[in-house]
Order: sequence, then C-alpha cells, then structure tokens
Amino acid sequence: MGEMEQMKKEAETLKTQIEAARKAANDTDMASAASGVAPAPRVQLKTRKTLKGHLAKIYAMHWSTDNRLMVSASQDGKLLIWDSHSGNKVNAVPLKSSWVMTCAYAPSGNLVASGGLDNMCTVYNLKTPVIKTVKELDAHTGYLSCTRFLSDTEILTASGDTTCALWDLETGKQKTVFLNHVGDCMCLSLSPDMNSFVSGACDSLAKLWDIRDGQCKQTFQGHTSDINAISFFPSGNAIITGSDDCACKMYDLRADQEVICYQDAALNSGVTSLALSLSGRLIFAGYDDFNCNIWDSLKGEKVGVLSGHDNRVSCTGVPPDGMCVCTGSWDSFLKIWN
Amino acid sequence: MDELDETQLKNHVDSLKQQLQFNREKTSVSIPELIKWIEEKMNEDPFLNPDVLKENPWVESSKCVII
Repeated sequence: MGEMEQMKKEAETLKTQIEAARKAANDTDMASAASGVAPAPRVQLKTRKTLKGHLAKIYAMHWSTDNRLMVSASQDGKLLIWDSHSGNKVNAVPLKSSWVMTCAYAPSGNLVASGGLDNMCTVYNLKTPVIKTVKELDAHTGYLSCTRFLSDTEILTASGDTTCALWDLETGKQKTVFLNHVGDCMCLSLSPDMNSFVSGACDSLAKLWDIRDGQCKQTFQGHTSDINAISFFPSGNAIITGSDDCACKMYDLRADQEVICYQDAALNSGVTSLALSLSGRLIFAGYDDFNCNIWDSLKGEKVGVLSGHDNRVSCTGVPPDGMCVCTGSWDSFLKIWN
Repeated sequence: MDELDETQLKNHVDSLKQQLQFNREKTSVSIPELIKWIEEKMNEDPFLNPDVLKENPWVESSKCVII
C-alpha cells in the first residue's frame, strides 16, 4: 500500500475512534436535560429603525462595543458607520474594491476593517481628521469572507483559500496561519476570553483553534453543506452554526459534540447569518427566504419571526448589551428590532 | 482529502491524533451546566426580561410636547 493510501486509512481510523469517544461521553441529550425548563415565550419584535443609505446589497454588519454605533458593508462600494439611535450616518468609507463580503469594528472604536473578492483585508482609522487606510493585509490567495479585530494591533481573517490567519497590524504581516479546513472558510467567531476562535467552512465542518499555538483543537461535523454562520455561545462553552443545509446546530465544546439541531421541515432555505441574545437563550438566524427566525436554544423550537425585508437577510448582529437585534439585507436596508 | 498532498495529509493525520486526545466531558455534566448558565443570565436578557427593556433607546420614554 502506498504511503498516501496508508495515511488516508489512518485518518479514517482516527475519525472512527473520535466518534466512538464522543458516543462514550454522550450519556444524555439536550431534550432530556432541558425537559424541566419552561419554554421561552413567543417573541414579537417591532422594527424600531430602518437604516436607509446603501444603494446595493448589504453583505455584512458589525456592532461597536459602545452598543450604539455600527458598521455595514455593501456592494455599492461603501462602508457606512451608523448611529443606530438616531439612524444617522456618522461616516462613509469609500472602498477601493466594491466586492466586499465582510466588515468589522475594532473593540476600541478606533478602527474598522473590510474585505472581499480583492483577497485583502483593509483596515481604516476612523479617528484621524480624514478617514485613512492604515493597512492593506495582502497574503490570502482567496476571497476574504470574515474578519474580526482582537485589538488595535491584531486581527483575524477567514478566507476562501481554506485558511484563517492572525495578523500583526503594526507590520501588516501574518503571525499565524491556521491550516486544516479543506473547503473555503466562510465565517469565524472569537471566544469571550479571546484565547481561541471557531471557523465554519464549505467542507461542512466547524473547527476550534488555539489562537497562540495555531493548532486545530477540535472539529465539529454534522452539517451536510457549507457553514455560512458561526457564533460562540456567551458562556464560552458552546458554539452555534448555521448552514446551507437549512439547519442551525449547537455543539457543546466540553463534550466535543452536537447536542441539538434547529430545523423545520417547512424551512428549505439556507442560513446566511446568526446572532445570539445576551443569555444565549434566543438565536436570531437569517435565511435566504428573506426572514430571520428566532429559535429557543434549549428547546429547539421556533419562537418568532422577523419579517420585513424584501430580499435575503445576509447579516444579523446583537450589540454587547443585548438591547436589540439588527438585520441587514440584500434589499439594501438595515433594520433594528426589539 | 483527495486534494491534499503528502505533507498536508501527514499534518492532517497528526492533527487528528491530537484531536483524539481531547479530554471529553460527559454530556450529563456539560449540558446541565450550560442550561444553568443560561437560566441565570436570562434575568439580564433584554429580550426575555421586559424590565431591562424599560429604558429602550429606540422608544420615546416621555410623551411628545407641542411647543
């Protein structure tokens, strides 16, 4: 048997052993453990603000840590910074490339970043008298699907080239490259303690990475198509994923396995985005069918719908204080709901 | 896995060996603790505790005055 064949066999054996170890740890499921929990009430939210200003599809949005400002990215070639309370545009950043797929707000509020089919992550300083490009992070060989700041000096990226990377914003170089996915990386989420992050990819897997040593620590399977959305649970011990297979899943990090699936026979649109309420009890999931469904994370039931967009919901976000949910759509509008 | 070359495949196998070593907690321990965490936080969750949303930045808290 050739070396390659031998290694492929070994990989299959290891995967089987991992599944067996998971089964051994699976002595109860979410349905049984949550049987005594009262179901979450039906959630009916109102649109409090509709943010109008983009001229084309919105692909991404991200809240600032001040719970008030947010950044959105559209293929009209602009990043817009909004004051969500007044609905006013605070800043507009013209992009060199209009094929933007992601944007992010730095925790400090000083910087924003964007990227897309240009394969680059561009970082802008909002605090200089005129908004300046501070860095163009250029090393990925595929599109930039997602980016998140750790601080004003470090940023994480996920790319269609199947890798994720940690960059030093002072040098503009990659510090660490995270290699393990075999499909385009589509999304990432930072852990609350900032020591790890999770990524979702077109290989239908989610992976947990140690930011400092660059290693993939855990791999989560179960989805049958691209994972487009991923989020750490606020407790840091679970993750939620959303996929083109029309389902969302919760994976328990300590037990290293899926514990509940959020799906409905009537739902046959892919999940594009997701965000969690402050306690994690509610999951706001955006779908291709123009709606955002609200799921009870413990019971697996749908408890509400946000309808109002005239096209696909491409992004969702809950600010750190949990006071509302924002949805962004291909219809060019952002809506604030609570 | 068919797209990987020899070095990538070797790294893949090494990674799987590492991942197998992970010390898995029993779900009878991890899930109840997760549920407890959520239930404790629900009091502070604006979507689940209407009192927290009394100060809603997007809703006028006082009546309009005609001047």
